[in-house]
Amino acid sequence: MMDSGKILAGFLAPHPPHLVYGENPARNEPRSTGGWEMLRWAYEKCREKIKAWKPDVILVHSPHWMTIVGHHFLHVPHLQGISVDPIFPHIFRYRYEMDVDVELADACYEETLKEGLVAKKMTNPNFRVDYGTIVSLHMLNPDWDIPILGISANNSPYFYSTEIGQEQMVKLGRATARAIAKTGRRAVLAASNTLSHLHYDREPELVEDMNKEVIFNNNQYQWDMRVLELMRKGKTDQLMTILPEFMEKTAAEVKSGGLTWMLSAMGFPTLPAQVHGYWTVIGTGNAVVEWDLTQSARA
Amino acid sequence: MKAGVIQRAYLVPGLPHLVSSAPVESWEALRKGFRQAGEHVKGLKPEVLVVYSTQWISVLGHSFQTNPNPKGLHVDENWYEFGDFPFDLRVDATLGTRAAAVASSLGLATKTVNFAGFPLDTGTLVALRFLDPDNTVPVAVVSCNIYAGQEDSLTLGRAMRQAIEESGKRAVALACTGLSARFFTEEIDPRTDRFSNPEDDTWNRRILNLISQGKNAEVLSLSAEYAKAAAPDMGFKAFAWLMGVLGTPNTSGNVLAYGPVWGTGAAVIEYVLM
Repeated sequence: MMDSGKILAGFLAPHPPHLVYGENPARNEPRSTGGWEMLRWAYEKCREKIKAWKPDVILVHSPHWMTIVGHHFLHVPHLQGISVDPIFPHIFRYRYEMDVDVELADACYEETLKEGLVAKKMTNPNFRVDYGTIVSLHMLNPDWDIPILGISANNSPYFYSTEIGQEQMVKLGRATARAIAKTGRRAVLAASNTLSHLHYDREPELVEDMNKEVIFNNNQYQWDMRVLELMRKGKTDQLMTILPEFMEKTAAEVKSGGLTWMLSAMGFPTLPAQVHGYWTVIGTGNAVVEWDLTQSARA
Repeated sequence: MKAGVIQRAYLVPGLPHLVSSAPVESWEALRKGFRQAGEHVKGLKPEVLVVYSTQWISVLGHSFQTNPNPKGLHVDENWYEFGDFPFDLRVDATLGTRAAAVASSLGLATKTVNFAGFPLDTGTLVALRFLDPDNTVPVAVVSCNIYAGQEDSLTLGRAMRQAIEESGKRAVALACTGLSARFFTEEIDPRTDRFSNPEDDTWNRRILNLISQGKNAEVLSLSAEYAKAAAPDMGFKAFAWLMGVLGTPNTSGNVLAYGPVWGTGAAVIEYVLM
């Protein structure tokens, strides 16, 4: 057994397709005049670090692959296709192509079962990868030269309760960490989540008109700042304590479990997280945040 | 021009289990009801099928499919093991565009979508596989806005009705929705499929009983209570949309089939309107 794998870092990696649209990569068909630079530039800093680390795999937990029966892992070696966002098709029609780390998927599956959770491997080669997974991965590594592992968001937080849902994500995180260790992977984690999630239901004529881009309400903003401040100070215990209230008060997307999964996998780190940027997208709060575990290992 | 008419309307389930060949008693009953409905639709020779699916979720208002010929391959994100859904539809883009315009004039946020590669939803494709397996009838498909309440859903239906009437076409309306929506969240032997909560079954039967007596307005009144008690699919707002299309008639709905699918409630209901 290798048992030498480790998690290099975790990123809160929000997935509004607007970020890809604003960047105008060749893979995305629609063209923009820019927009949301505060988030896009934040992601650029992450890209540089990821390039330097040369990880074996990026794991991403996405709320837009919502599953009913258990926690699912992509398990097709190579996936490709066109992803047209069902909500924002006018700004996201993206040609994707990714290599999946199926050996790690096997290990995650086995370890998840050991936690008493239901797990499944997604083996249909025609499966359409969700846009949350794609956007987060593009923003972290637009070259797509690092294998990935996509993990679904089991809908237990919505089906049962926030508490039960988060408990499941803690277990899933533990299972993921063991799987990474056992397979010897040097891994980067991505929680594909927005923070506050109440939003406007009408767009400006020019989608990227930043004159119209404001937080949905000040309560959301205050909550986002409170949460980010705890991340910045490494007060993870306090963060975990207030997360349920945050979810309730702001319809925060972290309810779908990605953040809790990632923090659990990293052992609920107390090192200060680095907030690379914060901005709104159609009124939701989005932050690109990094927990650099290589830094804590050096300390 | 003669005003368009709605010949018949259906409330149908949209879970992919039903297109499998798994020999599950309740699934087989639902397939049988679905096929029966399909035979009826075929005999009516409608010019358009208008579809509302709870599995086409939108958040920026209500979306209308206006790509004249969506083509592709769909795989369900939960039950991908039930295989692929190749599709090659003919869409009545004129009707969809007009329905969107009418809905907008009634105060709803609307959007038309005409993009190659746009993902169709499992519910729409399951319903069409049974109700128009040869793909002979154009469709007009509208999304389920997760934030819409009953009033907006009724208004959305009224907009579709107006668009149908203006079109002069013979239409069949399909509301693709489950009833109680509490799934089993673990693997089950499908042959043991049953209601995950027996009280949901009681509630579903209460609703179906009212529908079969033509007490559709009463069902609308009960919908909030039903939503609280049995967690029906998207708050049962697909029924409100259908009543908007039909004008909440006193017509009785013929329950062609009813049973559980993975713990949830599913029914094939037919309204004979002319």
